[in-house]
Amino acid sequence: MIGEPIARVWHVTLGIGAVLLLLIAYTILSMRQHRENPDDKTIPSWSQLSEGVKKSVEVNQRSNERWVVADAQATSLRLFWGVFWGVSGSLLIGMLMGCFAFVEAFLYPPLAFLAKIPPIALLAVFFVLAGTGETMYVTMIAFGVLPTLAQTVYLAVKEVPAELRYKAYTLGASHLEIIWNVLLRHVLPKLIDAIRLQIGPAMVYLIAAEMVVGDVGFGYRIRLQFKLLNMSVVYPYIVVLGAFGFGIDYALRKLQAFVSPWYAKGY
Amino acid sequence: MDQPASLAIDCLSHGFGTKPVLHDVQLRILRGQIVALVGPSGCGKSTLLRAIVGTHLPRQGTVTVFSGNSHLTGHVVEGPGRDRGIVYQHYSLFPFLTAVENVAFGLMLDQTNISYRLFKFPRWLKRRAEHLKQAREFLDRVGLGSAASLYPSEMSGGMCQRVAVAQALIMKPALLLLDEPFGALDEAMREELQRMLLGLYQENLAARRKGELEPHTMFIVTHELNEALYVGDRVVGLSQYWDWRQAGHAQPPGATVVYDCSAPIFEPDDTRDFSCFAGQREEIRDVVFNPDSAYPREKHLRYWQELEQQREAEPAP
Ligand SMILES: Nc1ncnc2c1ncn2[C@@H]1O[C@H](COP(=O)(O)OP(=O)(O)OP(=O)(O)O)[C@@H](O)[C@H]1O
Ligand SMILES: [Mg+2]
Repeated sequence: MIGEPIARVWHVTLGIGAVLLLLIAYTILSMRQHRENPDDKTIPSWSQLSEGVKKSVEVNQRSNERWVVADAQATSLRLFWGVFWGVSGSLLIGMLMGCFAFVEAFLYPPLAFLAKIPPIALLAVFFVLAGTGETMYVTMIAFGVLPTLAQTVYLAVKEVPAELRYKAYTLGASHLEIIWNVLLRHVLPKLIDAIRLQIGPAMVYLIAAEMVVGDVGFGYRIRLQFKLLNMSVVYPYIVVLGAFGFGIDYALRKLQAFVSPWYAKGY
Repeated sequence: MDQPASLAIDCLSHGFGTKPVLHDVQLRILRGQIVALVGPSGCGKSTLLRAIVGTHLPRQGTVTVFSGNSHLTGHVVEGPGRDRGIVYQHYSLFPFLTAVENVAFGLMLDQTNISYRLFKFPRWLKRRAEHLKQAREFLDRVGLGSAASLYPSEMSGGMCQRVAVAQALIMKPALLLLDEPFGALDEAMREELQRMLLGLYQENLAARRKGELEPHTMFIVTHELNEALYVGDRVVGLSQYWDWRQAGHAQPPGATVVYDCSAPIFEPDDTRDFSCFAGQREEIRDVVFNPDSAYPREKHLRYWQELEQQREAEPAP
C-alpha cells in the first residue's frame, strides 16, 4: 500500500543492492568500452581506476605531497572559513534585523536583492575586489551564503511569539538575555537547517572558483586531470567529493540534534 | 488583620486608533485574592491584562503594583517586571526547554546574568543544580514530578498549563495574571486545574490564619461564568454595555468595570455544586453580557460593602 513502512532488513538490503547495481553497471560499461578500444581512458577499468587512486594518495614526486590530502585540506579550509564568516555575519545581521525595526527597514531591501543574485555571476567581481588568493574564496563563500542565511535568521526571530518575549521579561530577563537565551535558542536549529541547504551552493561556488583560478583544491585537480583526460583520477575525486558533502551534512545533523534536541521532536 | 493591596488601577483608559476599548477602569485587588475577570468577547480583558503586565501601556491612567517580601511597597508599572507573573493561553512555555528547565528558567534569569554563567561556569553549575532541584519541587506541587524531562511538544495542553503555572509561581510574584489559561482544555482537565488553583487559595487562608502575608494573589480572565464563580473569591465584570448616555457620552466610550462582587469560596475537595450560585450567574449574565442592559456603572459594585459587612460579622480576635 502507499506510504506503508518496510522492515529494517529491507531498508539495508535495498540500499546495498542499489550500490552493487551501480558498480555492476559501471563494470559492464567499462568492459565493453575496453573491448572496442583497449587504451580507453574515458571509462577506466577497475585496474586503471586503482592506478588513479594510487596516484592521488601517493606522495607525488614533483610536488612532494599527497594530492588528495593537499586538495582536501585546501578545499575544506576554504569552505570552513567561508561558511564560518557567512554564518557569523548572517547571525549578527539577522538578529539585529529581527530585533530592531530600524535595522530591518534599512537592510531588508539590499538583502532581498542580494539573495537573488547567483554568486557565480559575482565571481568576476570577487576576483577584482579580493584578488585570487585564499581571501577571495573565503569572501566569495561568505557573501554567497550570507543573504539566504541572514534572511533565515531574521525570519526565525520574527517567528518567535511575542508572548515568549513578554514572559521572559516577567521572569526577570534582561534585553541581552532575551536575545541570548530565548531568540538564539529558537533560531539555532533553523539556522543549522539552512546551513545544510547552503553547503551545496557554497561547494558549487568554491569548486567553480577553484576550477578557474585555483592551484590546489578539489576543483583545480578535477579540471586539470580532466584536461589530461585522466578520468581514472577524476572519478575517484568525484566520489570523494560526494563523501565530503555527505560527511558535512551528517555532522551538521548531529550538531543540530546536540544543540537543539527539542527541535527533532517536532514542536 | 487588614489585607494590604496588591494592585491598584486608577482611571485607566485605552483605545486602538480612534476606537475606544477601555474607559476609566478603577480596580483595587487585595493581597491573597483570586479575582476572576469576566466580560463579553472583545471587551478588552486581554488589553487590561497587558496593561498590568506592562507590555502595552495604557493611554491614560496608572497601574500600581505592591510588592515586597514582608513589607509591600508600590510602584507604577512602566514595563514588564519580575513581580508580575503571566500565564497565557497559548505559547505559555519555551519550546526549547524541558518542563523542569522551563520552571527553573525564571530562577536563572532572575538570579544570574550571562557573564556569571559564562565566566563563573563552575559556580553556575552548582547554582544550576539547586535551581533544578527547586524547580522539581514546584513541579511536584502541580502534580507533574514525573514529566520533568519532557519537552512542551511531548506534553498535553493541560500538562503545559500546569507547568506554566509552576513556572510563574516559582518567582513568587506579587500578582499572578492568567489570561484564559484553561480555555483550550477539555472539561476534565479544566476541573483538575481549577482544583489546583483552589489548593493555592487554601495556602493563602493558612497563611492568613498564621498572620503571615498571603503567598498568592491572582487575577484570572475567563469566559466561563462557572469557572469564575468557582475559582474566584471575587468576580469582576468588564463590559461596554452600561449607561454611558446617562453619564454624558455621545459615543460609546468603551468598556469599564460594571460588576464587582464577592463569590462563594470552595475548597478543592468540595463537590462542584454550581446550582448554589445560579442566581449570581444570572445576574452577571444580565449586567455584564447582555447588550441591551444599561445600568449605571456603579450599581453592581458591591464588593467593598460586602467586605465591610463580612468584617463586622467576624468575631474580633
Ligand atoms: N493590537 C490591536 N490593534 C487594534 N485593535 C486591537 C488590538 N488588540 C486588541 N484590539 C481590539 O481591542 C478590543 C479588545 O481586545 P481584547 O483582546 O482585549 O479583548 P478580550 O476581552 O480579551 O476578548 P476575548 O475574550 O475574545 O479574548 C477588541 O475589539 C480588539 O479588536
Ligand atoms: Mg482575550
